[in-house]
Amino acid sequence: MSTILKIIAFPASVILICYGALTILGGHITPGGGFQGGAIMASGIIFCLVVYGLDDSPIKFTDNFMASIESIGALGYVFLGLAGLFTTGFFMYNLGVDLYHIVPPNIVNIFDYPDPLHAGIIPYLNFVVGLKVLVGLSAVVITFLESEKLMKDMESK
Amino acid sequence: MVYIGPVIVGFIIGFIIGTRIKPNIGSNLKFPASVYVLLAIVIIFIAYQQGPFPWYTDSVFANGLISAFAGIVIGKLTFGRG
Repeated sequence: MSTILKIIAFPASVILICYGALTILGGHITPGGGFQGGAIMASGIIFCLVVYGLDDSPIKFTDNFMASIESIGALGYVFLGLAGLFTTGFFMYNLGVDLYHIVPPNIVNIFDYPDPLHAGIIPYLNFVVGLKVLVGLSAVVITFLESEKLMKDMESK
Repeated sequence: MVYIGPVIVGFIIGFIIGTRIKPNIGSNLKFPASVYVLLAIVIIFIAYQQGPFPWYTDSVFANGLISAFAGIVIGKLTFGRG
């Protein structure tokens, strides 16, 4: 890649990642949310990977890191669903809002998102989905780049 | 009063990514502290132009954007050095 791209790609990626985080944070009341914000952040990571290559990219996602974050995202989603199930009998019940007034106030306070809208568990769901999408989409491109490298190695042998 | 929810969640997201920003030892292209200072100025400008997102009234900045960048920088300084 050209030098201009190599100079601009990393700062642009950081801005994209921050913008993706902002999209996740507004997901409960604006268009966008976990998937869209995660995809925007992944686009920043992919931008770096395409410009610098897999080995020289300043943002390095290892296999263990991707597996951990993907698991945290999936387990966080399941945990938030099961918390509602065990507390009220409804899977994915919004414990932070408690529309039916069947949850003790101390549990409502735990799951309440601290902003004036009080969206309950929705921002947390956006957060875990965002992590999962970020890693999932990045993993696709990393797999492509690794397979390309592997094929080049095989051809050289 | 600044709403603490977007600040904390944005910081965590940024921190997770920031821990993965690591310098390339053999590469000619370096990203020193001056790059992050410039990025901070750009992010603060964007956050000011964006306004308190989404429809908050707590500050003149998009706090989530600034906290995400702070998370990236602190994540890089703590775990992203080696």
